[in-house]
Amino acid sequence: MTDDAPMITTDGTGEALAPHPAGASTLGSVATRSAATRSVPDPLAPPAITLEHVTVSFGRQCAVRNVTLELPTRQVTAFVGPSGCGKTTLLRAINRLHDQTGGRVQGSIHVGGLDVYGAGIRPELVRGRIGMVFQRPNPFPTMSIFDNVVAGLRLNGIRKKSLLREAAEVALHHAALWDSVKDQLREPAIRLSGGQQQRLCIARALAVEPEVLLMDEPCSALDPIATAKIEDFITALSPEITIVLVTHNMFQAARVAERVAIFLLGDDRVGELAETGPTAEVFTSPFDPRTKAYVEGRVG
Amino acid sequence: MSSISPGRLRSSDPAVGVRDTLARRRRGSRGRVYSASRWIAAGLFALLLVSLVVSLATGADQAFAHSGIGFVWSGTWNPAASEYGAGILVVGTLVTTGVAMLLVVPVGLGAAAFLSELAPRWLAGPLSAAIDLLAAIPSIVVGLWGLIVLSPLFARDVEPALSSVPLASWFFHGHAYGPGILLASVVLAVMTLPTVVALSRTALGGVAVADREAALALGATRWQVVRRAVIPGARSGIAAAITLAMGRALGESIAVAMVIGNEPSIPHSLIGPGATLGSAIINQFAEANPGLGASSIVALAVVLLALTVAVNLGGQALLRANAARLLTRERIPS
Amino acid sequence: MSPAVSPAVALGGVPLDADDGQAARRRRELVQRAARRSLRRRRFAGRTGVLACLVALLVGLAPLVAELGYTVDRGVGGLSLGFFLHAPTPPGVPGGGISTAIAGTAQIVGLALAISVPLGLFTALFLYERRGRLAGVLRFGADVLTGVPSIVIGIFAYELVVRGLHHFSDLAASFAIAVLMVPIMIRADEEAMRTVPVDLWEAGVALGAPRSRVARSVVLRGALPGLVAGNLLAVARGVGETAPLLFTVAAPTAAMTLLIFSEGSQALPAAQQTAWTTAFVLLAFVLVLSVASRAVAWGLTRKAR
Repeated sequence: MTDDAPMITTDGTGEALAPHPAGASTLGSVATRSAATRSVPDPLAPPAITLEHVTVSFGRQCAVRNVTLELPTRQVTAFVGPSGCGKTTLLRAINRLHDQTGGRVQGSIHVGGLDVYGAGIRPELVRGRIGMVFQRPNPFPTMSIFDNVVAGLRLNGIRKKSLLREAAEVALHHAALWDSVKDQLREPAIRLSGGQQQRLCIARALAVEPEVLLMDEPCSALDPIATAKIEDFITALSPEITIVLVTHNMFQAARVAERVAIFLLGDDRVGELAETGPTAEVFTSPFDPRTKAYVEGRVG
Repeated sequence: MSSISPGRLRSSDPAVGVRDTLARRRRGSRGRVYSASRWIAAGLFALLLVSLVVSLATGADQAFAHSGIGFVWSGTWNPAASEYGAGILVVGTLVTTGVAMLLVVPVGLGAAAFLSELAPRWLAGPLSAAIDLLAAIPSIVVGLWGLIVLSPLFARDVEPALSSVPLASWFFHGHAYGPGILLASVVLAVMTLPTVVALSRTALGGVAVADREAALALGATRWQVVRRAVIPGARSGIAAAITLAMGRALGESIAVAMVIGNEPSIPHSLIGPGATLGSAIINQFAEANPGLGASSIVALAVVLLALTVAVNLGGQALLRANAARLLTRERIPS
Repeated sequence: MSPAVSPAVALGGVPLDADDGQAARRRRELVQRAARRSLRRRRFAGRTGVLACLVALLVGLAPLVAELGYTVDRGVGGLSLGFFLHAPTPPGVPGGGISTAIAGTAQIVGLALAISVPLGLFTALFLYERRGRLAGVLRFGADVLTGVPSIVIGIFAYELVVRGLHHFSDLAASFAIAVLMVPIMIRADEEAMRTVPVDLWEAGVALGAPRSRVARSVVLRGALPGLVAGNLLAVARGVGETAPLLFTVAAPTAAMTLLIFSEGSQALPAAQQTAWTTAFVLLAFVLVLSVASRAVAWGLTRKAR
């Protein structure tokens, strides 16, 4: 692939991509390498999340338009794109967080066969089946570590101490936090470091045993070491649960995601889905010319 | 004073000329007057603060010299016998404020929660503004209403009803005249409610969106978000609100003086009359015996000052701690 | 090839049990069943909670609204032109008004304003420009002074001015009201100044302009709405005070608030009516000032946007 040397741009994190004539293929090679170490997905499993012609708008302003997408079960799908393209907005539509913000969601979203916006479906139950991790770690500041982890269970009406303890231990193990905090479960959660807090939030989301885990740029507030730990966690957890990861870091997506969906700004400044597919394919030989431009660092 | 006019400049740089001209102006009389006025103002204000303390201390000196520090808790206030002690009045102040807080905190907090979290936006805005306005009602008007409207109501209906409730009669017994500790407490509660609502609303609104979303994403209902995430998160802000409201209630005197019955003796029933530091100052001022009597009145003011300043400082410290806590959440340690 | 080892082990943790998948599925079912079952109860508790808060709001508002309504209702009846123009008459003699009280309040508060507005403004400028410990101490003093009960300030004015001059006077009353208003104004003024973007001020100073010139033109003009709003609120407070006047003025007809106090304590219906009508006038005035203050502040935030 011979391109003119691309300009120095950023990949969205603010770090400049070194001008590299084969920039796209570096991304692609990362993706291919990770794919090789992963398990082969089960092609017969029904998709965990289905979006059909989903549009989210606030008042008259459209944020993201006409997204049709299938997210396979027990795989990591990354929503990638420059900021402002509606990735986070779309993510939040999946667990009906827009009910609070006044955003209007059109189209249909199915999670595990359940129509999320169906008539008579209570949002609380939807959210109980979908876990979410936010951009900045947000443990409940007045609660201890243990109380934070089991907060979701308590909110959903589970009081039995033995069940809470078991779920907390499992969740903290999954987040690779158990060894660090097992003796400090009663300590306030805000005493943990940023990376640990984020993993605590992950444990909290996992404790309710969701079918899907939504992660909205979970590493953007963290240092590289903490980021690496969370990426390891995503890779390790991926065979057990469906993960949707929003990130503007293409390399992160290449490292951890089996599938990727590229979101870009359309001409009228509304976000749309440009392309989707297995990560290695999209990054090495993208179909859509806009994706190509983005992946090669010429746009965004 | 050098008078460099632009025409006599050695340098040809126009900026120098301008700067010199301005510097000359600054050294000039106008600038000096202005600068002096700020210092004079600051000095006057400092003088004011100092003279407040000095003046009150001198006025109260005789009383404290007579009774020592025991004045603060000494139990008798009997001007006829030249016995002056603030103890009963301090108790009365604390009791009325305490009961008022008991009434106002749940009501104010609930109202604040409704306005901040649960009400539709088109309703919350005007209602909150209305409540803020109600805070401006002069205390004399509230006192008048309490005296003319509430007092007969209490004497006729409320207090007999309360004393007939079996367990409550320990608090409420005796003849119901109307004016008394209970009425004063209710009037205080009504007066401090807008403050509590406004400050609590601010505290509740200050809880980060992130905390609410975290609870929401776990499957909480809207009420659960308020009860489990917002209110605990606003704890210190609410504590500050209550403390500051308490500080205002402690100092409120005219409305209390009109409805409390002015009886400086140990209250044995909330329905009976009582007295607070503020009400005693007002009611006893005119007839105070010169010398020790007058000095004792000033001493009461000193005690009240100490009490309110202590509580207000506590409230402000809580406010600062709350603000600091919110800031440290932004800085995430790595 | 799915990993044979559970993720916890892969990350260095200890596997809980070999049957991880089963246990997880059991827990998931438990959680979802509990969520479904508890939802009804949670929503009911939620509705009760919202209702309780609404009740709290109504219970809290009711006395205040009742009081407003009663004041208006009883006070309006006594309104007349004569009420504002005539001086009080002895008890039992009809045709009296409260002109002396209105004039008295105006005089007392007017003089208090003349003292406190410039004092507050210049002290606020001092605090705004300086950063030293002295400024910190003064600011702390202003904060403390805002919390001092008005009755204590009244006693202070008595000790300093009345005892000093050996007679009660309106001057002493103005002094007391000024002491009451000054710290409020200082804090409001300084805050209003601080909302003006710092770069404007610093740019002015950096250009070599003397501090006075910069302060006058940039900061004061920018802070003007905030200054006006804050001072209006302070005036509303000063006009409504009673306690400081009790210890300083010579006659109960010298101010509206005092008149309410003295007339309201009498049983005579005429006195009561005077008290209520005066209360109505006072209340209306204070509310108008407060609304005006908020309107100015609201206009300020609108402009900022």
